Amino acid sequence: MPQRRRNSTQEERADRLAWLAEALGLEIGPEELAALAKQLRALEALEIDELQEYTPILKMDAGWHE
Amino acid sequence: MSDLLALINLSISEAASALRRGETTSVALTQAMLARIKQTEPTLHAYATAPANLALANAEQADRDLQNGRDRGPLHGIPIGVKDNCYTKGILTEVGSKVLAGFVPDYDATVVEKLYSAGAVIIGKTRCHEFSCGGSEPPTRTPWDLERFPGGSSIGSGVALAARSAFGAIGTDTGGSIRIPASINNLVGMKATYGRVSAFGVVPLAWSLDHVGPLTRTVRDNALMLGAIAGHDPRDANSARVAAPDFTAGLEAGLRGLRIGIERDYFLYRGVTDEVWTATEAVIDQLADLGAEIVEVSLPELALTSETLTTIRMVESASYHRNLIRESGHLYSPGTRATLEIGQAVLATQYVAALRARHRFRSAVQALFRRENLTALISPTIPVPAPLLSDVRKPRDDMDNGETPTDAFIHHVYPANLSGQPALSAPAAFTHDGLPIGYQLMGRPFDEATLYRIAFAYEQTHDWHKRQPPQVYD
Repeated sequence: MPQRRRNSTQEERADRLAWLAEALGLEIGPEELAALAKQLRALEALEIDELQEYTPILKMDAGWHE
Repeated sequence: MSDLLALINLSISEAASALRRGETTSVALTQAMLARIKQTEPTLHAYATAPANLALANAEQADRDLQNGRDRGPLHGIPIGVKDNCYTKGILTEVGSKVLAGFVPDYDATVVEKLYSAGAVIIGKTRCHEFSCGGSEPPTRTPWDLERFPGGSSIGSGVALAARSAFGAIGTDTGGSIRIPASINNLVGMKATYGRVSAFGVVPLAWSLDHVGPLTRTVRDNALMLGAIAGHDPRDANSARVAAPDFTAGLEAGLRGLRIGIERDYFLYRGVTDEVWTATEAVIDQLADLGAEIVEVSLPELALTSETLTTIRMVESASYHRNLIRESGHLYSPGTRATLEIGQAVLATQYVAALRARHRFRSAVQALFRRENLTALISPTIPVPAPLLSDVRKPRDDMDNGETPTDAFIHHVYPANLSGQPALSAPAAFTHDGLPIGYQLMGRPFDEATLYRIAFAYEQTHDWHKRQPPQVYD
């Protein structure tokens, strides 16, 4: 069944990170927070249906055997 | 041959020849490196530790062995730096973190064992970012410009070579950490095929992306070092059962019959500065003049490589550090800890999506190489010359999408970590301001020899690799 997705906004990601940093008692500057927000964005970028065609690589092997 | 300047500027192969001609000794080479460490460390901070007595004892043994006819090969008696994430028996190994303060391993990483077996002298442990993670700020500076980013995470390995305080160095590369410092410090850096060099005894960042490899000042030296450290290791579950050839054997074979692809949409995107773009085009033209066939190719699957690698790295590094964070979380630098904590919150489905994306990318690369009968892909190693340290995490003035220099660094190097194929960085040119520019070659799995062949052919046409940074003699 098709699902409706909405990726989080930059502000939402920054807010989540600021909350996490405070909860952990970490002092993280704005540039570091921005870099971490990009990591969160990376997770959402992979939420695309076409990847379902591919089996996950569970053990890395650089050889081209296929 | 005793003049310090003459010794420190030798390549590994030149030093090896001088040793065998009796023009120098391993002790003299080691003393020269120790003198350089003493001269440069107050400014450059390339080394986490450099146990001089141990190095000199190993050098004395190397000299005795040579005198007695026991020649262990091209690294015999050569001082080599080792990144501080590699276990070294009896030598402090802190991996740039307070978490491991005072830690002294009781065994050697396989790569260190192999260096010792090859007769190399471990001159010291080179600094790295905390757990190779990038969340800390080591004091290390590049002699090319003290105000600029020196590379990472094999930061000390690159700087030690540029400063002439090592003849070669070991680095590790999970997302460009050999090739980025190689490019910034005017060096040759090889991230060999995944599994080619054992990672046993190396503190992991992300096990399915980690690679161990050499940094050197010349292509031949790099091939010599890879030959010494490559090979199957039953102690590393990911070690490939593939024999290591003599990587120097084909260096002078020329480029006739080789097909080198350029994917302009991704590798020459608008974030590549004019000087880097021009330098890369000049390398391509030169390779064509030398006989290679240049092929324009398309690989749209490159688009998600940064996101895919980032997701895998977050999860695997968080998994490794899970218990350490519980016990010693307060000892991590905030940036490193935040990255690792976020990694623990990644959903299993997101990780699986990244592993699917990795499959898609690897299949696409394989299909491209087969369809176009490619020998290699070429690109700039990094799209920008070394930025000012103060600008590394700030949005670039010349981009309108918020891209920082840190974002730019990973753009070209991540794909080869994801696919596992070999990738080499070598000197391409210099900017008008005197900063090194590197180019990258990505090859077929276990075909590092052909990348060396291409890079060697190009190296013969210029003297970029012979340029010395301004801080060397100051």
